[in-house]
Amino acid sequence: MYRRSFKDTRSSLGSPNPNFSKPMVALRFLRALSLVRRSGLGACSPSYRARGIRRAAYACMAASAGPRRAWSRALLRKIRRRPGRGLRRPRAVIWRHRPVGGGDRLEVALRRLVPGGGCMEYCRLLEEAADYVKCLAMQVRLMQTIVDSASHV
Amino acid sequence: MNENKFVLNSHHDGGEWQFNTPAMSMVPLLPNAPSLAGGLMNQITRSSYLSTPMVEVFSPGQWNHHPTSSPNMALGESNFASTSSINSIPVGKPVAISPRGMLVSTEPRIFPTSLPHFPVDSAFVERAARFSCFGSGNFSGINFFGSSPAMAPSNNEGIGDQVQKDELLQVDHESFNGSTMKNQGDQNSQIGNGESRVVIFPEDGLEGNTGSTDAALNSSSSDRGVNKRRKTVPDIERDPVQGGRQSSSETTKENIENKQKVEQINSKQTEKNGKDNSEFVKEGYVHVRARRGQATNSHSLAERVRREKISERMKYLQELVPGCSKVTGKAVMLDEIINYVQSLQRQVEFLSMKLAAVNPQLDFGIEGLLAKNLLRAHGSSSSATGFSPEMIYPQAYPSQHNLVHTGISAMASHSDTFRRAISTQSTASGYKESPLQVQPMHIPWNEELITQMAYGANPSNPQNMDSKADDFAI
Repeated sequence: MYRRSFKDTRSSLGSPNPNFSKPMVALRFLRALSLVRRSGLGACSPSYRARGIRRAAYACMAASAGPRRAWSRALLRKIRRRPGRGLRRPRAVIWRHRPVGGGDRLEVALRRLVPGGGCMEYCRLLEEAADYVKCLAMQVRLMQTIVDSASHV
Repeated sequence: MNENKFVLNSHHDGGEWQFNTPAMSMVPLLPNAPSLAGGLMNQITRSSYLSTPMVEVFSPGQWNHHPTSSPNMALGESNFASTSSINSIPVGKPVAISPRGMLVSTEPRIFPTSLPHFPVDSAFVERAARFSCFGSGNFSGINFFGSSPAMAPSNNEGIGDQVQKDELLQVDHESFNGSTMKNQGDQNSQIGNGESRVVIFPEDGLEGNTGSTDAALNSSSSDRGVNKRRKTVPDIERDPVQGGRQSSSETTKENIENKQKVEQINSKQTEKNGKDNSEFVKEGYVHVRARRGQATNSHSLAERVRREKISERMKYLQELVPGCSKVTGKAVMLDEIINYVQSLQRQVEFLSMKLAAVNPQLDFGIEGLLAKNLLRAHGSSSSATGFSPEMIYPQAYPSQHNLVHTGISAMASHSDTFRRAISTQSTASGYKESPLQVQPMHIPWNEELITQMAYGANPSNPQNMDSKADDFAI
């Protein structure tokens, strides 16, 4: 179910679009939602469905942000890696560029928040964080809209 | 955009969302531009033609669009920065440098003419894209050639006040010294290890000097000859201007001459105040000049560039996060950002739970739509104007565009084959047109789709879908 939604999001009109393509994000998300719904009518429990929806939300966000963003790549990687991959191929380079130190409490916290933030320099981290914040805000607004219109009718 | 197309009554919030989001998505950028531009213009008082490039420069979202235009952005910033620097120096020479490919011209954007001069390889494009993201015109090293060897943070503020023309960011560097120092140390150690690059240019800074070594080295090695050639020209250009100070006054950091220059810079000091000749190099090497009264150590210069970059990013973040414009100080700002990100993530979780609870009600509409859309996967391309206005919706959407939007959205969202048809069509007909057509129509689509989902059992739907499918325009 999840793989299918990811494939769909990838095969769509995805170009390295900025997160201004809100319609694209919404498209993807609604598609993913429908997929989630189709998969066995919600997989029994709302919490399970909620997790699936959350994953779909992040996947859509990352997919629409474009592959040029480090955080979107890391996010997609993290999402796809989850489904029970027991044996992990030893990757050649996991932590590419380990940033020096980590003494700044705030910086460490930011690194943990932003996906893929462990490998970046501080400068890049800020940049990715900004983009991530923008995408997140858009995603939240989109979901809010959906919920509102769904609850309206 | 087309907010006027929005429906109002029952989907007021949705409309609000769509209304807001284009504006709000723009809001981080546009205020960003004026604020940064304002800050910049405060210092760079010279030219009036800088205003437009600055506004364009500081819209970071644009750079994602077209990779081809990203070098333009980089060049734009370089243009901006170099012109700013040029303004501080009453020199007409930099204009002559433009044939070399450096956008030092009065025109804000003359990228197409100067692009061919650049060795635009993929690595450069990528770096330029990243570089152009953050108004990197500031990074053009508006650093002055310092006279005092001491590199104390206190000097920065003093210099900052002094150097109004070219000082772009009045940021307290102390709080960042800790974090930047370690990064700096990392980079500088790397730099000292025989790497040809001494300075941190914004492109490489974005990737990290450590990280982009391969790409950068490849490009740098390939462009070394070109670099040399190019470097000589600016030097020659500047010679009459600066007289004998040419060699010492610049801390142009390019591939091979870097180390030699560093020694020169360290040994000499200029009495030039308030002048910098920062030029943007073709591959994104930043010519950094030490500010007056500041250390001319290559390390300190690089650190300063880095600090300014970081402060630039922080400012951008400040624009993004609501309610952070009044906050001063990096720590508080970071704290706010972290809180905001955490709250957003919590909101996503909460909304997903809500959606999961709400979803079963929307099942019927989706299934019906899916079935119908999958039957006719390929919508014929016809104009939206030919749309039959007899869409029967309780909300009575007035504009035909809405119907098209719904059709588009419904079909596009529920059919893989249709998507591929769209993509193939779009690629065939040029991607420019389709998004332009699709996107403005997509704006109110959210509500329609949801109402469709809600009114899935509407008997009028099938014929609506038929008409929509026939009149679907791509």
